[in-house]
Amino acid sequence: MASSKSASGAMTLERMSVEQLKAVKEQADMEVNLLQDSLTNIGTATTRLELATTALNDLSLRSHGSKILVPLTASLYVPATLQDPHHVLVDIGTGYFVEKTMPEGKDYCERKINLLKSNFDQLVEVASKKKNVADDAGIILQAKLKQLASSS
Amino acid sequence: MSSSNIRDLQRELENKANDLSKLQKDIAKNHQVRKKYTIQLGENELVLKELDLLKEDANVYKLIGPVLVKQDLAEANANVRKRIEYISAELKRLDSTVQDLEEKQNSKKETLLDWPLTLQHIAGPMFYLG
Repeated sequence: MASSKSASGAMTLERMSVEQLKAVKEQADMEVNLLQDSLTNIGTATTRLELATTALNDLSLRSHGSKILVPLTASLYVPATLQDPHHVLVDIGTGYFVEKTMPEGKDYCERKINLLKSNFDQLVEVASKKKNVADDAGIILQAKLKQLASSS
Repeated sequence: MSSSNIRDLQRELENKANDLSKLQKDIAKNHQVRKKYTIQLGENELVLKELDLLKEDANVYKLIGPVLVKQDLAEANANVRKRIEYISAELKRLDSTVQDLEEKQNSKKETLLDWPLTLQHIAGPMFYLG
């Protein structure tokens, strides 16, 4: 079933003119690049959330009154004591912050990571399909150009 | 065909080409704005989902400039909802404008497509002078 479908797709590609094929290939390449960029972005976001999860796990092991260094800038830290190891403030986007307990915060990170992972998987599928289209168009384009060169 | 006639034709063609490129620029700009709004809509929907999951007595803060201000959960909820509504309306508006622009662009393209042939035919190398 799938093979017959892709064969008919290749058939329509074969019937196209060189210009059309070029356009199709360019379009497909552009989309593949865009999807690749999105995948990288999702990857960085996931890494950040995983870092946050580790930080939370680390923080939950500390007790009230622990000494910590708080970063004011990237290079300036001030000493402080941990007042409340059980509550965290979570940035949920568009300027909203929510106070959550430690398990709730961890749950939030986990949920977000899972959401990103499912998005990632979906995108990988779409990207590989697009890449196939681009490759097919490229192969047929090459063949056509060769044909043109030999016939002229 | 006199040279003044040809010049007129040339000018008309130039005008049409300029119009077309202006339209294309508008469409590209529209797409960019649309993209921005779509991203914002997605983010707001995520926030709303998160707010819906919260308990009644949860503490919600809004970042206003450099300050975190405490806000009612109900108020925050209403704000986000309103923003989603606004962005959705804006997206719909952008959709209709882009459709309009694309229609205009297509009709311009069609008229322009007939042009080069006629011009080349009568003006020959003159066409390339402009």
